[in-house]
Amino acid sequence: MTTFDALFGTMVGSRGAYVVYALLVGIGLFVLVDDDNLVKKIVGLNVFQTAVFLFFITAAYRADGRAPLLSATGPFVNPLPHVLILTAIVVGVSITAVALALVVRLYDEHGTFSETAIREARP
Amino acid sequence: MSHLLPLLIAVPIIGALVPAVLGARRPVISRRLTVGILVGQVGLAVAVLVAVAATGPRTYVVGGLPAAVGIGLRADAVSTVFVLLVAVTAAALYVTVRTDTTGPTDSLWLLFVAGLTGIAVTADVFNLYVFLEISGLAAYALVAGRHGTRAALAAFHYLLVGTIGATLYLLGVGYLYVATGTLGMAGLRADLAAVGYDSPLVVTAFVLVTVGLGVKLALFPLQAWKPDAYAVATPDVSALLATLGSTVPGYALVRLVFDVFTASFLDAVPLVRTGLVVVGVASVAAGGYFALRQSDVRRLLAYSSVLQMGLVVIGIAIATPAAVTAALVLLVGNAVAKGGLYAATGVFARRFGATTVDGYAGLGRDAPLTAGAVSVAFISLVGLPPTVGFAGKWYLVVAAVDSRAWVVVAVVLLSTLVSLAYAGRVVERLYLAAAPGGTEPVATDGGGLADGPARERTVVFVVVAALATVLVGLGSTELAAWFAPVVEGWL
Amino acid sequence: MTDTVSVLPLAAVLLPTLAVPLIYAARTRPRLRETVTLAASIATLVTVWFAVQSPTTLVTPLGSFAGIPFALRADAAALLFALLAALLWVVTSVYSIGYLYALDEHAQTRYFAAFAVSIAATMGVAFAANLLTLFVFYELLTLATYPLVVHAGTAKARAAGRQYIAYTLGGGVAALGGIVLVGVLTGTVTFTPGGIDGLGATDTTLARIAFVLLVVGFGVKTALVPLHGWLPTAMVAPTPVSGLLHAVAVVKSGVFALGRTVLYVFGPETTWDLGLGLPLAAAAAATMVIAGVVGLRQDNLKRGLAYSTVSHLAYIALGLALATPVAVFGAFIHVVAHAFMKISLFFAAGLIYVETGEKYVSDLAGVGRRLPMTMTAFAIAAAGLIGFPLVAGFVSKFHLIVGAAASPHPAFVVAYLVAGVLKLLYFWPVIYTAFFGRRESDSSESRHPFAPPHATDGGYVEQAMWERRSLTREASPLLLAPVVATAAAAVLLGLFPTAFPFWALAEAVVVEVFG
Repeated sequence: MTTFDALFGTMVGSRGAYVVYALLVGIGLFVLVDDDNLVKKIVGLNVFQTAVFLFFITAAYRADGRAPLLSATGPFVNPLPHVLILTAIVVGVSITAVALALVVRLYDEHGTFSETAIREARP
Repeated sequence: MSHLLPLLIAVPIIGALVPAVLGARRPVISRRLTVGILVGQVGLAVAVLVAVAATGPRTYVVGGLPAAVGIGLRADAVSTVFVLLVAVTAAALYVTVRTDTTGPTDSLWLLFVAGLTGIAVTADVFNLYVFLEISGLAAYALVAGRHGTRAALAAFHYLLVGTIGATLYLLGVGYLYVATGTLGMAGLRADLAAVGYDSPLVVTAFVLVTVGLGVKLALFPLQAWKPDAYAVATPDVSALLATLGSTVPGYALVRLVFDVFTASFLDAVPLVRTGLVVVGVASVAAGGYFALRQSDVRRLLAYSSVLQMGLVVIGIAIATPAAVTAALVLLVGNAVAKGGLYAATGVFARRFGATTVDGYAGLGRDAPLTAGAVSVAFISLVGLPPTVGFAGKWYLVVAAVDSRAWVVVAVVLLSTLVSLAYAGRVVERLYLAAAPGGTEPVATDGGGLADGPARERTVVFVVVAALATVLVGLGSTELAAWFAPVVEGWL
Repeated sequence: MTDTVSVLPLAAVLLPTLAVPLIYAARTRPRLRETVTLAASIATLVTVWFAVQSPTTLVTPLGSFAGIPFALRADAAALLFALLAALLWVVTSVYSIGYLYALDEHAQTRYFAAFAVSIAATMGVAFAANLLTLFVFYELLTLATYPLVVHAGTAKARAAGRQYIAYTLGGGVAALGGIVLVGVLTGTVTFTPGGIDGLGATDTTLARIAFVLLVVGFGVKTALVPLHGWLPTAMVAPTPVSGLLHAVAVVKSGVFALGRTVLYVFGPETTWDLGLGLPLAAAAAATMVIAGVVGLRQDNLKRGLAYSTVSHLAYIALGLALATPVAVFGAFIHVVAHAFMKISLFFAAGLIYVETGEKYVSDLAGVGRRLPMTMTAFAIAAAGLIGFPLVAGFVSKFHLIVGAAASPHPAFVVAYLVAGVLKLLYFWPVIYTAFFGRRESDSSESRHPFAPPHATDGGYVEQAMWERRSLTREASPLLLAPVVATAAAAVLLGLFPTAFPFWALAEAVVVEVFG
C-alpha cells in the first residue's frame, strides 16, 4: 500500500476524517450565510454539500478493501455509497447550475454580485 | 397493473421532454400535449387508487431486482391520495390558471409533478432525497420565472435554504445507512428497532431528517423563504407551490416518522417528541403572529401555511391514530384551500391591481364569485364547520385531549382565533370597505393572467377549490376511514 | 316516545336554505323575492307544525362528520324552539318587507338571503341531536347573521360586526374545547335526557372544566355578564334583525344550547353534584340585576331593549341552573313568552323609527298620540316583561319564582323580584311619557329619568305635540300588523297558556329530563 493509503486509513480508522468533514460543513454554512457575494455563497453551498458527500464515501471505506470489480478478489469497499454519492454529485451540479443562472440574471440587471446592493436596489 | 407505479413517475419525467423540444417551434401543440400528459397522469393516479382500493397496498421494485438491493416503490391508501392530489392540482392549475406558458417552464411544471409523485410513492429513503431535489430544483426555477430580479433573488434564497435542507436530509440518510446498512423503508423499520432507538446515531439521523424536511415545510425557524418565494412567483406557480410544495414533504415526514422510525421511537426518546411539539407550537405562534402583521396578501397566506404546518407537526408529535389522521386531513385541507386562495390572489392582482389587504377593499362587489370562494376557503383555514379545516382541527383536538396534552389543546384552539383574526381582516375588507377610486385593470409584472376567458377559468378553479373544502369536509369521516388501515398499521 | 326516521327535521333546515338561491334569482323583482321569503317561512312553519303533531319523535340521521354521528332529532325541546322560531320568522318576514321598503334600504337581497340562512341555522340548532351537530349549526348561525349585523356598512356597523364575530367565534372555540372534553370523557356527545351516563363519575376536574368551557362558549350568545358586550353594540343592525335574531334566534340559541348542556349533557343531578349549579345560578342572577341597572341608563330605545333581553335571558338561565322541574318548566315557557314580548317591543321600536325617525326615549314624549296602537302594544308587551298578570310573562315568571323557591337556594327568588322592579323602573317612565308627556324642546322632564343627557338638535322643534292619528292610519299595515299580532299573542299566551302547543312541549321536556 502507498503512503497515501496508510495515511488515509489511519485518518479514517481513528475517525479523524469525520472531524474534517464537520469542519467543512461549518465552513460551508458560514460562508453561505455570512458572505455578501452571491457567487461565494454558491461556493459555500458546494463546500457544505461536498463535506456531506465525503462523509458518505468515508463510511464506505473498508480497511484493506479493494475496488469492487468482478475480476478482483478479496474484501471489497462498499460500492453502494459511491453510487449514491454519484447521484448526489449530479444533483449538486444541477443545483449549482441553476444557482449560477440566477446569479447571472441578477448580475446582468444590477452589475454586482453583492447581495446587499441588490437588495437595496430592488424596486 | 404491475407497471403502473413506475409509470406514475416515468410519464411526467419523459413527458417533460415534450415541451422542451416542441415549445419553441410548435407552442400550441406543445401546450396541448402537456395537457394530455397531465391528464394522463391523473388517469394513472386514479387507476392506482382503484387498484389499491381493490387489492390493498402494492409494492414494486424497479428493474425487477431483489427487494433488498433495488429501489422500491409503494402505493397504499394514504400515498395514493397525495399522488392524486398532485396530479389533479397540476392538471387543473395548468388548464385554468396558467396562461404564460413556454416550453422550458412547462418542462419544469412536469418535472415538479414527477418529483412530488416520486416522493409520495417511493419506499427508499435515498430515492426520496433524489425526488426531493428534483421537485426542489423545478420549484426554484419556477419561482424565478422568466423575468425579473426580484423573483430571481427570492428564488436564489429559496434555493440556498432548500438545498441546505435537502443536504441535511441526505446526511441523516447517511447516518441511517451507517447504522443499519440498508436504505429501503421496510428494512429500515426492522433494523432501526434492532439497533436500538436511543442510540445517538439513530436520534441524530432522525433530527437531521426532520430538519431537512422541516425546511420544505417551512417550520419555524426555517420559514423565511416561504413568504418571499410565494409573493414573487406568478399566480399559477404560487398556487402550485402553495398547494403541493409543503404538502407532499409533509406526507413524507409522516411516512418517515411512522413507517420508518415508528411511534415506538417517539416513545423511547421523549426529548424528540417534546422537540416536535415545541417546533409545532412555535410554528403556529410565529405563523399566526406574522400573518397578522402582513399587508401583502400572498405573504399573509404563506404565513398561514406556516401555521397549518405547525398543526400538522403537532399531530405527528402526539402520534395516536386520531392525531395522525388529523395531520393527514390538515395537509389535504390546507392544500385545497391554499390552491384556491393563491389562484384568487392572481385574479385580484391582474384584474384590479390589488395585492395588499387594503387594496382588496370593496372587491366583494366587483368580483362576487371569487370573493365568496375566498371567504369559504378562509373559513376552512380558520377551522369552522362544515369544512375540512374544521374536521382536521377536530381530530387534532380530540387526539390532544385524549392524550391529556393540555398545552396542545390550548394552542390549537387559540390558533383558530388567530386564524380568524387574519382571515377576518381580508374578508371584511372584501365585503365592507368602500372600493378605492378607480378599478381599471393594472398591468402587473409579467406572467400573470391574461384578460377574459383565462380569468374566468381561474375563477372556476377558485370556486371549485372552495367547494372542495366543504365537500371534503362533509366527507371527512370517509376520508379518515380510507386512511385508517394504513394509520392503524403504523401505530 | 319512540324514534322514527323522517325527513321533516331535515326539511325544516333545508327549506330556508333552498330559498336562498331563489331569493338571489329574484333579486331584480322585489315582489317575487319577498314572495319567496314569505313562502319559505310559511312552508317551514308548516313543516315544523307537522313535526309537532307527530306522535313519535322524528329523527333524521345524516351520516357522520369527523367520526361523530350527525343527526337531527325532533324531541320536545327541539320542537318548542323550532316552532317558536318558525312562527316568528313568518311574522318577521312580513315586518322586514315593510321595514326595508319604508326605509328604502340597500342590499335587500343580501338581507333576505342572510335571514333565510340564519333561520336554517336556527332550525339546525334546535333539531341537533348531539353537541357536534349543534356546534356546526351554531357556528353557521354566527356566520349567517354577520352580514345582517353589518348591513348598514357604516364604520360603526363594521366595528359592531367585528366585536360580534370576535365574541361569538371566540365563544365557539371555548365550546369546541368543552365538546371534545365531553366526547373524550364519555365516548359520546349525544343529548340524553337527564344527562350522559358517566359524565362526572370518574374525572371530576375534567368534567368541571368541560362544563365551564361549554357555559362560557354558549354563554356568549346567552349574553351572560361579562360576555354580553356584543349584544347592545349589535343593535346597530336593522330593527327586524335586532328583533328576530338578537332577541329570538341568536340569543335563544345560546340559552337553548345552555339548556341542552345542563339538562341533556350533564343532567340536573350531575350539575349540582359537581358543584356547578350554584356558580351558574349566581352568574345568571348577577346578570339579571346588572343588566337591569345598566339598562336604566340607556336613552337609545333599542339599546335599552337589548339590556332588557340580557336580563330576561338570565331569568331563563337561572331557571335552568336551579334545575328543579318547575324552574325548568318556567324557563322553557319563558323562552316562548319573552320571545313574543320582546319581538313586539322591537317591532314597535322599529315602527317608531320608520314613522317618526326617533331612536331615543327622550324624544318620544307624547308619541302615543301619533302611534296609539303601537304604543298600546308596546305597553302590553312591557307589562308582560315586568311580570303583570294576564300577559304571558306573568305565567313564566310565576313558575320561575316557584321553581326557585322550591330549589335548595330559595334566595334567588329575590333576584327575580329585584329584576322585576328594575324593569318597572325602566319601562314605566317610557310608557308614561309616551302617552302623557308633552314634547318640549329642551325640557329635561321628557328625558328618561335615569338616562344621561344626549345631544339634542339645539332646541329646534317642529311641533310641540305629535299629530293625532286615527287607529287605522298610524303606520303601514306591514309594520303595524306584526306589532299588534305579537302583542296579542303575548296576551293570549298569558290568558290561555295551555291552549298552545308550547305548554305541552315544555311539560314533555320536564318529564323527559326528570323522569
